[in-house]
Amino acid sequence: MSPPHAGWLRRAGAAGPVGLATLLGVALLAVAAPVLSDPAGLDVTKVGGPLLAAPSSGYWLGTDETGRSVLLLTWWGARVSLLVGVAAAVLSVGIGTVVGLLAGHFRGLAAAVLMPVTDFFLALPSLVLAIALSSVLPRGAGTIVLAIGLTAWPTTARLVRAQTLTVEVRPYLERARALGGGHGHLLVRHVLPAVFPLVLANATLTIGSAIIAESTLSFLGLGDPGRVSWGSMLEAAVDSGAVTAGAWWYLLPPGLGIVVVVLAFTVCGRALEAALDVGSR
Amino acid sequence: MALLAMRDVRVSYPVPGGLPLPAVRGASVRLAAGETVGLAGESGCGKTTLALAALRLLPRTAQLSGEILLDGEDVRAMSWGRLRAVRWTAASVVFQGAMHALDPVRRVAAQVGEPIRLHCPGIGRDELRRRVTGLLEQVGLPAGRSSAYPHQLSGGQRQRVMIAMALACEPRLVIADEPTTALDVVVQAQVLALLAGLVARRGIGLLLISHDLSVLAASCDRLDVMHAGRIVESGPTADVLRAPAHPTAAALSAAFPAVGDPAARRSPPDPRPDPQARPGAALLRAEGLRVTFGAAHAVDGVDLALHAGEIVALVGESGCGKTTLARTLLGLQRPTAGRVLVDGAPLPGSTRGLRGYRRGAQLVQQDPTAALNPRHTVYQAVAEGLRIHRMTAGERDRVSGALSRAGLRPPERFFGRYPHQLSAGQRQRVVIAGALALAPRLLVADEPVASLDAPVRGEILALLLRLRDELGLAALVVTHDLGMAWSIADRVAVMYLGRIVETGPVEQVLRAPRHPYTSALLAALPRRGREPAPLTGEPPDPALIPAGCRFHPRCPLLGASTDPELAARCRAVPLPILAGDRTAETACHATGSPGADRVLR
Amino acid sequence: MLDPARPVPRRTPHHLAHRLGPRLVGGLLSLLSVVVLGFFLFRVLPGDPALTMTRGRPVGAREIAELRARLGLDRPLARQFLDYLAGLARGDLGTSYEFRRPVAELIGERIGPTLLLVGTATVLAALLGIWQGARAGWRRGTRFDRRSVGVALTLWSVPPFWLGLVVLLVLAGGLGLFPVRGIRSPDTSLPVVLDVAHHLALPCLTLVAAVYAQYLLVMRASLLAEMDADYLTTARAIGLRDDQVRRRHAVPNALLPTVTLVFLHLGLVVSGAIAVETVFSWPGLGLLVYQALRVPDLPLLQGTFVVICAAVIVMNTLADLLLQVLDPRVRW
Repeated sequence: MSPPHAGWLRRAGAAGPVGLATLLGVALLAVAAPVLSDPAGLDVTKVGGPLLAAPSSGYWLGTDETGRSVLLLTWWGARVSLLVGVAAAVLSVGIGTVVGLLAGHFRGLAAAVLMPVTDFFLALPSLVLAIALSSVLPRGAGTIVLAIGLTAWPTTARLVRAQTLTVEVRPYLERARALGGGHGHLLVRHVLPAVFPLVLANATLTIGSAIIAESTLSFLGLGDPGRVSWGSMLEAAVDSGAVTAGAWWYLLPPGLGIVVVVLAFTVCGRALEAALDVGSR
Repeated sequence: MALLAMRDVRVSYPVPGGLPLPAVRGASVRLAAGETVGLAGESGCGKTTLALAALRLLPRTAQLSGEILLDGEDVRAMSWGRLRAVRWTAASVVFQGAMHALDPVRRVAAQVGEPIRLHCPGIGRDELRRRVTGLLEQVGLPAGRSSAYPHQLSGGQRQRVMIAMALACEPRLVIADEPTTALDVVVQAQVLALLAGLVARRGIGLLLISHDLSVLAASCDRLDVMHAGRIVESGPTADVLRAPAHPTAAALSAAFPAVGDPAARRSPPDPRPDPQARPGAALLRAEGLRVTFGAAHAVDGVDLALHAGEIVALVGESGCGKTTLARTLLGLQRPTAGRVLVDGAPLPGSTRGLRGYRRGAQLVQQDPTAALNPRHTVYQAVAEGLRIHRMTAGERDRVSGALSRAGLRPPERFFGRYPHQLSAGQRQRVVIAGALALAPRLLVADEPVASLDAPVRGEILALLLRLRDELGLAALVVTHDLGMAWSIADRVAVMYLGRIVETGPVEQVLRAPRHPYTSALLAALPRRGREPAPLTGEPPDPALIPAGCRFHPRCPLLGASTDPELAARCRAVPLPILAGDRTAETACHATGSPGADRVLR
Repeated sequence: MLDPARPVPRRTPHHLAHRLGPRLVGGLLSLLSVVVLGFFLFRVLPGDPALTMTRGRPVGAREIAELRARLGLDRPLARQFLDYLAGLARGDLGTSYEFRRPVAELIGERIGPTLLLVGTATVLAALLGIWQGARAGWRRGTRFDRRSVGVALTLWSVPPFWLGLVVLLVLAGGLGLFPVRGIRSPDTSLPVVLDVAHHLALPCLTLVAAVYAQYLLVMRASLLAEMDADYLTTARAIGLRDDQVRRRHAVPNALLPTVTLVFLHLGLVVSGAIAVETVFSWPGLGLLVYQALRVPDLPLLQGTFVVICAAVIVMNTLADLLLQVLDPRVRW
């Protein structure tokens, strides 16, 4: 028998630290945006750059259809995309973990109610549900967070429940019951610590899919109208005919930003899974 | 010429960033055609690795050296094509744990037929079917089960399928790796008898691998004992068992005590009674206990009494309900009917009510590795019970005391250790210490030494006896191992299909059994120089309890009897529930009838 | 692992009807839940649907009142729900606010192209993903494996709509190899089937690229989970070659859980289809949803929501039933 954490660094592989470094870099840039750049450049009324101009020495990534610098927009868009992604993921993982723990531990009535509900929402296309919610609730970042958080939890719930069930049949849990432990003791001292690594790895992966979901919802016009996000940039690009005009400088940066950030979260999540010895390989 | 000749074989596995890990360090084995050789050793000694090397079935990373001649041919020098042709046709393997060794999504008949189709490419469909059916018949698999999937068969049936598969291409050598581990006594006897019969009839050489010397003792001509990758003793079976030279052989031999041998009785006849208890009053009493899961009657009417300072062994085949009974007595399972009385008062139903009881009765589980949370230190594991019951005053002293009493000294040295840093025996001691920390009066142990190696078994059993003597602890030991019951128990209760069929003092029940089932269990034990005499039939289905005496479909007494009145009674009249107390009792219509003694011997 | 203390009755009902029955009932309950959910989301949640639909636009109070009357919003909620159910029963999904046509009619027109796109993409993505995933898993750690996983992870990180935009920009706009929008070009000389196929190419390619990664990763993980199994040692011991062991034993065992997951992820393909149809102006349900969102046209959204979700539930139930028939390991 080897200790649970032996060899975690070796298992994490080479990609994990690279992903982590990327994320830290992006996060630092996003946080430092108000310090390192001038937000006035985001205000449509205050800019005077050329409209939809290709990259030049003045505008490294060119300008959008209102004359704003695409570089500035991408930089500031990172903040909203990251924030909404993380918030939505926290909400969804939170709900999913609670549901999964309850369904796995209290197997009788709780499971009989929670599992069919989880399976039902798992089968439904989550984006369709998120679109539905976003369209009837007032526009805003909070709505997006709610829409994604309330529709992405079933995957986590299923994973947490499966892991909880694995722990529940372990003899050490029966020993704790035989020692006289009640539900609280069992959940806090045994189940939760065993489930936590899975939740952590899953949360990291969920942030990635939440960012994609946010960008898709914004692209479809359901985003926060007052703020710039990568998805809304792409919506504007399509609406203003940038695609047909061949304005690749408007199209590529926000999309590449999404790809890089989501890939970094995914790689980190998988490295965490490997290091903590949970989930897939 | 020897069928199998392995000379100075070495196997090691490379370790990233370190020295290679040796599994086999120069072992030599010889086997002639028609001979049965036993390869014995503790788990991890390298016996399976050595056996798999004969067919080059080791993982690709393994480094193999030494000479391996199979029927005169050098296995290591064979090309892959030749090796694949030789596999199964010259030598085959009966793998351990047939649950996982068979493909879960293919029917067993197809799996038995697969090697035949592979090595006889031109074979017709009818001929193939005929051969497969023939093989399954020979291993005693009921005809209707040939189109079943592995998970639909019992453990014994799956092992039979593996044997049929091993014989499919008529090899001259069969390697059986732990073929009866995880099977209980009766099924084990059936499988061993089957193997011995088939091997004798076809003149096959059999290499039998096991950690259970009693299994090897009955079947093998010669015995090789392995320890830490080396063969430490080799010779004719009788010689090795009579006068083992190496400590490993001696320990293996001692770990499986022969029932009926007074020297194997560790427990002195007069245990010290618990000063607190009134003489005659039971610490724990079950009355009319029934536990039903759906259609299955796991426990079907049991009365049992446990007194302070006595060790009671609860024995029976797997599936007889003994584990369910033990868990019900501990309050971990709610009974469908009947009740459990503690010091005369009924067991409370709620979790809160049970908490008080839990302080007095504790559980020791089968697998100490799984019973400890790998993330908790030894201190946390032992203190867990104290913390649950908020007995935190003097916690450190109590933990030290418990660890000391469980034999882990000095206790402070173990406080910060994790389970993975301990040996299996030490882990079981930690589990026992955790139970002792609450100062219980009753210990329920479910197969406490089944997953431990030979030398460690003795230590844990000695510990249980010491606890009984020093603390007046009562213990209920659930086991299918009659040898262990003989070794440490005061009383024994034999369980069959949810009912206790015989109880009484160990010396009496195991030496002069009065119920045909007890007698059959004893007869199924492999003993030196004597073939095991297995009980016929499959373990019973708790959802289909026979009418009358529940044992009557398999009863050898009924089979040998010529009295029609007795037969009618056995088939129709149910037997009363035994009191399960200190007196010796049997639930049988036929005991005392003429001819019974002859069968019961 | 089963609890050894619980004896398993060996004669469980293996009759197909016993196993299929509960699942069928479950599927019907799910369909009912979709219907209720549709009502809840689009009538109850918005508070006043009429206001929601006309927000941000200069609409007079009289028009709003007319809209309310038309949608039946002045009736008690329970009555509205019953009307809704009755309408569904006879196939009436309401009237679209924007198009001023019955929703059912609109859906009927658009469902064909969506089925074509989603069907083709699912089959292609599943085949590609499963084949490559099996190969990568079997040769774990090799360059093929690492590259396959790397590409899959990268594609998984790409938003489908952006991938479509890039593909559109490069292959259609820039290189002019493929049409930019729609399902048919009015002025073409190609026969119908070829013209549709030409238009289908890019959206299908985009959807497959976005989705196949999931299947690859799942199949790979499934196979890896089987690789340690003892029965593979048995298969080698009887003399099978390595690839025979993989094909005959490892893959069939790994395939069944994969197939389950493929069907479970059908929702993923549908979600991707909405984004892809929007980008390529593919005249399917996804584009209809996008057009409805702009208003927002609540009756149309409600109708498409119910139809899409119901379709996914039906597919899942069918898959579940099929799996019961196929997988011998499933015990209940």
